[in-house]
Amino acid sequence: MYKYIIRRILVFIPMLFALSIIVFALAKAAPGDPFTTMLDPNVDRQVYEDRKEALGLNDPVPVQYARWIGKAVQGDFGESIVYNGRPVMDLISARFWNTIYLGLVALFFTIIVAIPIGIYSARNPYSLLDYAATGFGFIGLAIPNFFFGLLAIYFLSIQFGWFPAQGTVSGNEVSGLKEFLDRLHHMFLPGITLGLASTATYMRYMRSEVLDVLGSDYIRTAKAKGMADRNVLYKHTLRNALIPIITLMGFEFGVLVGGAVITERVFNYPGLGTLFLDAIINRDYPIVMALTLILVYSY
Amino acid sequence: MLLVLTLFAFLLAACNSESGEDPGAEEDPGTEEQEENNEQEEEEEETEQEGPVEGGSIVGAMDTAPAGVFNPIFYSEAYEANILDFTHEALVSQNNSLEFIPSLAHDWEINEDQTEITLFLEEGVKWHDGEDFTADDVVFTYKSIASPGYTEAGGIRTEYVTPLKGYEAFNAGETEEFEGVTAVDDYTVKFTFAEPNVNPLYYVGFPIIPEHVFADVAIADMPTHEATLNPGKVIGTGPFAFTDMVEREQYVLTRNEDYWKGKPYLEQITWKVVDQSVITSLLETGEIDFVADPNGVPAADYEMVAGYENVEMIEQTDFGYQLMGFKLNYRTKEDVESGAINPDNWEENPDVADQKVRQAIAYAIDRPGLVEGLLYGRGSVINAPIAQQFWAYTEDVPQYEHSTEEAEALLDEAGYVDTNDDGFRENPDGEEWVLELAYPTGNKIRERSAPVIQENLEAVGIKVNLQQPKEMSAYINDIMTKDTNNGVDLYLLGWSLGSGDPDPSGLWNIEAAYNISRWNNPESDELIFKALEAPDAFDQEFRKKTYQEWQELFATDLPAVLLYAQNKIYAFNKRLNGIEPLPYSMINDPHLWWVDDAQ
Repeated sequence: MYKYIIRRILVFIPMLFALSIIVFALAKAAPGDPFTTMLDPNVDRQVYEDRKEALGLNDPVPVQYARWIGKAVQGDFGESIVYNGRPVMDLISARFWNTIYLGLVALFFTIIVAIPIGIYSARNPYSLLDYAATGFGFIGLAIPNFFFGLLAIYFLSIQFGWFPAQGTVSGNEVSGLKEFLDRLHHMFLPGITLGLASTATYMRYMRSEVLDVLGSDYIRTAKAKGMADRNVLYKHTLRNALIPIITLMGFEFGVLVGGAVITERVFNYPGLGTLFLDAIINRDYPIVMALTLILVYSY
Repeated sequence: MLLVLTLFAFLLAACNSESGEDPGAEEDPGTEEQEENNEQEEEEEETEQEGPVEGGSIVGAMDTAPAGVFNPIFYSEAYEANILDFTHEALVSQNNSLEFIPSLAHDWEINEDQTEITLFLEEGVKWHDGEDFTADDVVFTYKSIASPGYTEAGGIRTEYVTPLKGYEAFNAGETEEFEGVTAVDDYTVKFTFAEPNVNPLYYVGFPIIPEHVFADVAIADMPTHEATLNPGKVIGTGPFAFTDMVEREQYVLTRNEDYWKGKPYLEQITWKVVDQSVITSLLETGEIDFVADPNGVPAADYEMVAGYENVEMIEQTDFGYQLMGFKLNYRTKEDVESGAINPDNWEENPDVADQKVRQAIAYAIDRPGLVEGLLYGRGSVINAPIAQQFWAYTEDVPQYEHSTEEAEALLDEAGYVDTNDDGFRENPDGEEWVLELAYPTGNKIRERSAPVIQENLEAVGIKVNLQQPKEMSAYINDIMTKDTNNGVDLYLLGWSLGSGDPDPSGLWNIEAAYNISRWNNPESDELIFKALEAPDAFDQEFRKKTYQEWQELFATDLPAVLLYAQNKIYAFNKRLNGIEPLPYSMINDPHLWWVDDAQ
C-alpha cells in the first residue's frame, strides 16, 4: 500500500511540472499583460513600461518560467501584480478555506437531500413524490446557478429576511460559537445554490442504483429468507447502492471547488473562484499559476 | 427661465446656510444632553424640522471589493478611493464649479510667473493617531512620489511631481534634497516648478500621508506595509478613520473625534461589498443606505429605484464619454515592437481617411436614439471631448444632428457610391468598402451599442462588419498597444476624465499613447500646447478660447464620434441628511452627514 502511494506521488510530481509549463505558456500567450487595461490618461505609459521591465515581464518566456519555477519549488509563489506586491499565498490562503467550507456545505446538502429522496423514489417508483422528485431534478439541472441564486436572495433573504444575502460573516465583532453559527447562516444560500445541480443529479443516480440493486437476485433471496424490509434496505441494498455514489462524490468535490465562480459572484462570497476569474481577466500571472496548480492538485 | 433658475439657486443657498449654522449651535452641549434632546425630538416626531443630530451609523455599498492598498500614493482604483476619500485629505480640494478651495491649506500665494506656490497650512490638525500634521508631512509625501524606486514599487502618480523643480536629479538619486517641495516653517510649504505652471493648484492637490508613520519604511516596502494594508494602521487626517475590515466583504470607518473641521455626526460608516444585482433590493429594504461611485445605480433601474419611498436619488453628468473612434493611422511593426510612437512612420488607413466620410458617419449615427434606447434617457449627447462641467467646454461646434440625408449627401460628394447595386456603397475606386467595427466586452451598454451603430450605418449604405467582441486586455492590445495594420477601422471605447484640469493632451495629442485613433493633425497639437503655454495661459479666458478652437477643430476633423456621456446615478436612504454632492463625487464633507434616527 505504501509503495503504491509513494509511486503515485512520484508520478504526480513530473505531471505537475509538465502542467506548469503548459499553463505558463498559455497564460503568457494570451494577448495583453497586467498593465494593458490600466488606461489612465494622467499616467504616462512609460510608468507601466518601467514597471514591466522591473518585474521582468519583457524577458523571454523560458527565462520567466525558469525564474518562476525556481521560486515555486521552494514554496514561494511570488507576489501579485494587480494587488500591488502582496504575496500570492496570502491572497489565496485567505480565500482557500472559504471555498472549501462552501464546497463541504454544498456536498452536505447534496447528501442529505439526494440520498433519502433517491431511496424513497426507488422504493415507491411512479408515486406522486417520485414524479415530484423527477420534476425537481429536471428543474434543478436546467436552472442556471446565478438565476437560482438571485431567486434565493430575493425570496429567502429580501422578502422573508431569513438569511443574509451577501458575504461570509456579519462582522468582526462576533466570535467563538456565535461566529461559527453566523458563518453557517451566511453559507446556507450559496450552499444550496451551489449544491442544487449536483443534488438533482445524485437523486437520479441514487434512484436508479437502488432500483437496480432491489431487482437483483440476492435481494430476492434475502426477502425470501424472511428478512425484514428494513434490514434488506439498510444491510444489503444501501451498502451496495452507495458504492458508485461515493466514488462519484469524490470527484464532485473537485467540481464544486472549481465550479463555484458564479455562485461566489452572486453572493459576493470571497473564495478562490472569484479570485481566479479576476486574475485571468487582469493577467495577474503569479495568481493564475498558483491557483491552477492548486486546483489540479485538488482534483 | 433664467429668473426661475436664479431663484432656485437662491433657495438652495438659503437652505445650505441654515443647515450650516445649526451644527455650530449644537456642538457645545455635552453628548448626554444631546441624547436627551434626540429622544424628546423623536417623541415629537418633528423630523422635518430637526437639525443635525449626533450618532448613528450608515452602510454604503460598492459592487466590487477594493484591491486593498489604502495608501494614496499607491492605490490605483475607484474602490480604494471610496475609502481613502474619507480617511485622507489634500492641501486643496474643489468646489461645485471645480475651483480649487482651501482644505488642509487655508491660504496660498502664487508668484508672478507662476513658478512658485506657497501654501499656509491649517494649524492644530491632528493625524488619526494624535500626532500633529505639519509641512514636513507634505514634503515627505511629495518626496516619496519623486523618490527613486517609486514606479518600480508600483506607484503611478508621478504626474504630480514631474513638473516640479529638481525632479530628475532627485529621482536619479543624485541628491537627498528635493528642490520642488520645501517646508518654509512648520505650517508653510513651498512648491517650486521647473517651468511656469498654468494650473499649480492642481499639482498641490495630492492627498497627504504621515511622515511619522512611514519615515523609516523603504519606498519598495511601502505598498505591503501594515500602515498601507491594515485597518487601524492606516493613518490620515480625514473625518473618518479606517478601523476594521472583513477583507473583500466589509470595510468599517469610524469617526475621528478630533477632526479639525469639527467632530463628525455619524459614528460609523461601513462599506459593504454587494453584488450589483442585489444592490437595489437592499436599498429598498434599508440594509444599505447609499450607493455612489464608481457605478452607482444602473440606468435601467432608475425608474424602479426612484419608486422606492425611502430612497432619494442624485443624477449628474459624469466626467467622461463613450466614443466610436476612427483608426486613422496604424503604426508599423518595428515601431510597435520598440514601443515607439513616431507619426512620420504611420501608415494611413484609406477606409476612413476622408474627413467627409467621417462626418457622414457622425450624421448617420442616431446618438439621441442611443441615449434613449440604451441609457433610458439617463445621459446626454456631446460633441466635444472635454468634460461638460468644465469652463473650457463648448457647445459651439458642429452638432451632427442625426440625418440620413446629410450623411448620404456627404458620402455621394466624397465619391462613395453604390456602383454594383448590392445595396452598399463602394469606395471612389469602385472597390468593395467594408468598415471593421471592433469593440470590447465588459460594459454591457457599450456592447449593445455596437449592433445599433452597424444598423445606423448600413441604413446609409455603409457596409459594417461587426467583429467578435474581445475581452478588454486582448482588445486594447489590438487597437492600442500593438496597433499594426490589423484591419480595424472603427473602435468603441470610453474615457473617464479627471476633474482637476480640462487639458486634453493625455488623450489627443499626436504622440500620446492613448491617442488610439493615431490622429495626426499638427493644428490640434499646436492648439493643445498653446493652451498650456505661459504666460498667456495664466489667463483662463485665453485658455478657454484656445480650447474652444480646439474643440471646433476636433468636431470638424473628427478623429472620433462622441457617442454619449452617461449620467452618474447615486442613491441614498432618506434617513441620511447633509449630502451635498460635488460634480465628481458624492463624498463631500462627510463629517456633516447625519441620520434622523440616531440612537
